[in-house]
Amino acid sequence: MNFVRRAGFYILRKKGKTLSLFLLAAIVSTFLISCFSVLNAAGMLTAEIRKSIGAAFYIRANTSVNTDDNGRFSMEQNNIHITDEDIAKIMQCGDISYCNPINYGYAKGKEITFVPGEQDNPDNNMGQVTALRYSALHTDFSDGTISLSAGGHITGTSRAAIIISSEVAAENNLSVGDTVTLVSAGLGIDAGSYVDSWQGDRGESQVTIAGIYDILKEHASAAETATAGKQENRIYASLDVLDALRESEPSVYTGEVDFYVIDPAKLPKMLPKIHQIASIDWKTHFIRTNDFQYSKISDSILSFSNLVKVLLLCVAIVSAVILTLILALGIRSRIQETGIFLAVGISKREILLQFLFETLAITIAAFIFSCAICPVIQGSLKNHIFSDFQTELIVSAALENGKGASLERSGYFNLEAWKTFTIYGCQLLTVTVSVLLSAVPVLRLKPKEIFTKMS
Amino acid sequence: MSVLKCSGIRYAYDKKTSVLKEMNAAFETGKMYAILGPSGCGKTTLLSLLGGLDEPDSGEITLDGENINKNGLAHHRRCNIAFIFQSYNLIDYLTPAENVALISALPPLPLLEKVGLTPEEAKRNVLKLSGGQQQRVAIARALASEAPILLADEPTGNLDEDTAAEITAILKECAHQMKKCVIIVTHSNELAKQADVVFRLKKGELLQA
Repeated sequence: MNFVRRAGFYILRKKGKTLSLFLLAAIVSTFLISCFSVLNAAGMLTAEIRKSIGAAFYIRANTSVNTDDNGRFSMEQNNIHITDEDIAKIMQCGDISYCNPINYGYAKGKEITFVPGEQDNPDNNMGQVTALRYSALHTDFSDGTISLSAGGHITGTSRAAIIISSEVAAENNLSVGDTVTLVSAGLGIDAGSYVDSWQGDRGESQVTIAGIYDILKEHASAAETATAGKQENRIYASLDVLDALRESEPSVYTGEVDFYVIDPAKLPKMLPKIHQIASIDWKTHFIRTNDFQYSKISDSILSFSNLVKVLLLCVAIVSAVILTLILALGIRSRIQETGIFLAVGISKREILLQFLFETLAITIAAFIFSCAICPVIQGSLKNHIFSDFQTELIVSAALENGKGASLERSGYFNLEAWKTFTIYGCQLLTVTVSVLLSAVPVLRLKPKEIFTKMS
Repeated sequence: MSVLKCSGIRYAYDKKTSVLKEMNAAFETGKMYAILGPSGCGKTTLLSLLGGLDEPDSGEITLDGENINKNGLAHHRRCNIAFIFQSYNLIDYLTPAENVALISALPPLPLLEKVGLTPEEAKRNVLKLSGGQQQRVAIARALASEAPILLADEPTGNLDEDTAAEITAILKECAHQMKKCVIIVTHSNELAKQADVVFRLKKGELLQA
């Protein structure tokens, strides 16, 4: 009778011992797989949270403080001066996903009138134009001050496109796809009255209404501002609109330039590189960073990951020790059987192979069982951990329609096959080593000593 | 005819307490030998040396003129020796038939029938058999090995008189009909009376009674 048959009979007929080892191995495997799943999920979730949170930095201009001959101070807001070349250099400094340059200006409408503000008259009836590359990334949209109610966002490919408020659209009976003509304008104050300060030839731009927004949060001072300052009259336009109105130069940005970074953790390393770009005058420009509160939650994320790692290490060590001890006890209790085998002429190698085969067969069966129940446990963990977790990712689709993709939650706990097999492989190795170490003292006994112990 | 021969065997526990002193003896196939002696006199030690479970401090054990250690004691145990124990020592997760088939390709049922077990009993759990039946299985397993020498350590020690007599008869049959060399270590004078040759182990020396 070869060792495989003997092992088979042992497994089938020593049901109590087989079941104990099977349950132990199944529990250990399930525990380890579940812990690794949580670790895997924690790692993936951390990366996704970082991506979904993202980070941004904004290049803005300083405010100059001037002193006149009489010693009086006055403050002047400088304009930035960033070109496409500067932007290209900045984009090379790290993992930057989007750049959103912005120019500001004013415009009157040939066929439209704006919602009247303070001292409104036909001369000062105008709106502020925010010309940008991606309207969805503008703070007004991202912080929920306004929300797109119809049409689409302005993107890098948009030309002669604008987004207006639902109030202006209603006032002028406009809808998405309509075309209007904008004319250059400037806001000034003359003798305490708001006036159109534009001097020289006016530019015109025929634009299409790409989208209409609703105001969700009113500014506190909205009722007291000039027509051009009212939130309802704000126009978000593609960059070429202000160029056509002669209020900006192509490829030169004077409002602000916003950069969006995928991983907030990498933001601090990028800033020194950007400051080394000599073509930007850093005396008049500065960088404001915004990690969207990543720094506040990063500690929690890190602590969670570390906690899972420590837990996993403890589980692995305790499991290995328990498994080794139980296997050692099991094999030591088979000293009489070993003696009988030796007495009938079965070699030590065959005896060892039988012990190994039995243990590995039971362990592998336990692995299969744990493979079957792990998805159930992982599902329960997923529901427990993610039940209140909601986030949105900034993806390219969000730049078009303003809606981020929801976080895909189902795949986090599914360990890749190679990781699962590595865990099982390590367990099999531990079991094999445990059996060998436990059997060695028994097999090293002389047959006479075994028989003495038997009797 | 095979001859197991001991020449000048010496053995001491822990190299201090001498149990066998210059022991000489020869055991032939076709005969049943009984070794008597008080507890602790070295009977089981002698059996261990003959069976290759241990090595003497000095002297030589030969089988048909060749040292039993020539090809290793494991080889000697596997090819030449079959043990029968007082406590039967059957593998408890194997049936009687499977215990007999442990190392032999011979069909187990005829062997079990030969020692008095029915085919139904041959398929039962060994632990559910009586002591006498378990000892019969142990003898059948010893026979299955086809070894020329059967070493039995108190084979009837745990059995009642009638069963002991039956087991003794089977062992005698092994010697006389199957031409095995049966060496029995025992306290039982009844068993010794059935042996062809009786030795007494006294003060480390083996004396023929």
